[in-house]
Amino acid sequence: MQPLKRFQSFLLLALLITSPLVVRADITVALTKGFVKKFKDKATVPTTFQVDKHHNKPNPIGGGSDDGDVHIAGRDSVVKLPMVAEIINGKRESDTFDFLMGMSAGQSIPLVGVCRLWFEHPGNEDQIMGQTVPVPGNTNPDHIFEFHPVAKFGNFDCLDSFLPIADQSNEFRGHPADKAFASYEQRPGTITQSNTAIMIMSNKAGFNYTDFEMRLTGNPKDVGDGFIVLADVFMPGAAANADPLTQEPRRMIFVKGSKPADKVATMSKGGKLHVLGIPRVNLNEVFAVANGLQGHDEYSEGGLPYEMIIVALLKD
Amino acid sequence: MGLFNSTMLDVIIGLIFVYLLLSILCTAANEWVATLTRRRGELLRKGIHQLLENQKIIGEENNDGFLRAFYRHPLITSIMHDKNHPAYIAPRVFAAVVTDLLTAAKPGSIEFNDLEVGAKGLPDGQVKKSVLAIVQRSDQKLEAAQAAIEGWFNDSMDRVTGWYKRRTQIWTLIIALALTVVANADTVQIVRRLWQDPVLRAAVVEEAKVRAQKPPPTLSVEYKDEDDPTNPTVTRNKGNTLSGKERELVGQLLGWHGPFLTNLGWTTLVGWPLTVLALSMGAPFWFDLLNKFMNVRFAGKSPDEKPK
Repeated sequence: MQPLKRFQSFLLLALLITSPLVVRADITVALTKGFVKKFKDKATVPTTFQVDKHHNKPNPIGGGSDDGDVHIAGRDSVVKLPMVAEIINGKRESDTFDFLMGMSAGQSIPLVGVCRLWFEHPGNEDQIMGQTVPVPGNTNPDHIFEFHPVAKFGNFDCLDSFLPIADQSNEFRGHPADKAFASYEQRPGTITQSNTAIMIMSNKAGFNYTDFEMRLTGNPKDVGDGFIVLADVFMPGAAANADPLTQEPRRMIFVKGSKPADKVATMSKGGKLHVLGIPRVNLNEVFAVANGLQGHDEYSEGGLPYEMIIVALLKD
Repeated sequence: MGLFNSTMLDVIIGLIFVYLLLSILCTAANEWVATLTRRRGELLRKGIHQLLENQKIIGEENNDGFLRAFYRHPLITSIMHDKNHPAYIAPRVFAAVVTDLLTAAKPGSIEFNDLEVGAKGLPDGQVKKSVLAIVQRSDQKLEAAQAAIEGWFNDSMDRVTGWYKRRTQIWTLIIALALTVVANADTVQIVRRLWQDPVLRAAVVEEAKVRAQKPPPTLSVEYKDEDDPTNPTVTRNKGNTLSGKERELVGQLLGWHGPFLTNLGWTTLVGWPLTVLALSMGAPFWFDLLNKFMNVRFAGKSPDEKPK
């Protein structure tokens, strides 16, 4: 064999051997239809959360992944999937954080968190609601579902953390809207159903926090624990006649009691807000799609349905 | 010509295709073994035994009297199939049967006290200890006590699911090893054959293209009840069959040719373990990877293709 061919053969084998490390397969998350039906139009999920691992200090505030969050990995009694709860603005939530630091591993606590299904850390294995959730080995185990942000931790109200993520010297701004929404709009997603379950398949997603301007295309709807409103998405400060960054208006989710929710409750169609948001799978659309499927058909044409959780109002 | 010319790419696609087909066979065999050994039902039986064994009941000398009574209860016998253990028992059925056995002396409707008295009335044993620990933290409410018994069962079922997952992983490795040896699926030899035979390589890539266009081997999950996320039954879609053309190609790439010992060499030591590792990744992984490489392969003109 010639040296070049030999080298090529070596590269071929090396590529295949290392491919499992670098290539992420599509991962499926399975949820009961009852769960999707119950929470498809809700902002939050109330649950009992068993704390297994947690940060010993909040993430620093800066760029990239320095988002000021406190990660708590654990297992919960409602969603029954690998789970991480994230308190935003961890430094501001010092009372909650001090309480968390005093908790012992395995201790359970009532928690209300924004229900967020997103393929940010999907890992390599399908995640099926109700299967045994392994005890997490670190604060950020493979997970598709998270409570992010946490609204209530035990008796500690965390709604006052729904503010711009900042400390004395730095402010976390999130990804630019044009890049982030271009990615969200193209996320692959396949939805299938059985008699009792809905399966959503996608792969690893990026662009966690995004800085954008939303312009309401309808009036906010009170859904009990929050408000949902349809809005077009723009770059902050975009011209009045600019084209939206999304093909159609997207649902925006506000948690009742937070500053963003207080603000949107006073607004109506045509109003605009500069916000910091994080994406999650739109379970309402997932449910509607699954209901329209015949038997074991699958749906993937529309990509992964998503909506935005509004975590802070930003200054222009 | 680039380092990764079309030959290289086609060999990679061919190898991924073979891994995918073998993984599909492996999955099908694993499902067959699971059905044959009634894996889920047997593990559920083991889980229930751990909960209810070592508990006598009044009027019966057997150490496992409570367990035997549990399996004689009409709510349980009605879901047994030809004496085979069911693969699933709803937590509320378990709680109803345990409650009924504990309050057998009280006909008609029952209250919390009846349950507590029934538990206290059992001879010393595992169930008595567990149930008393549960009911004493139920605020004297029957509903809370029954929910706690369901929780006791659910915790045990989490362990059962863990056993099932581990058992399945072990079987996957065993089947992958057996398949690799029986088919002499030596990764190094497969690469060599694909590299050296352009006709075979082209046929494999063509068939890989057909396979990539089929629906992915997605999973389907079913629960007993759409509001009850415990004990999901997970199945893969029916892509678990190989077409005639695929079987023919696999036959050309794998197998024992000529005298037994001439098939074995240094490559076997590397090639077999590589194949076993690859098969343990599962069919969905290789399907996804195949699609990615097919996208690269057919995204533009092949570097070897002459301009028209």
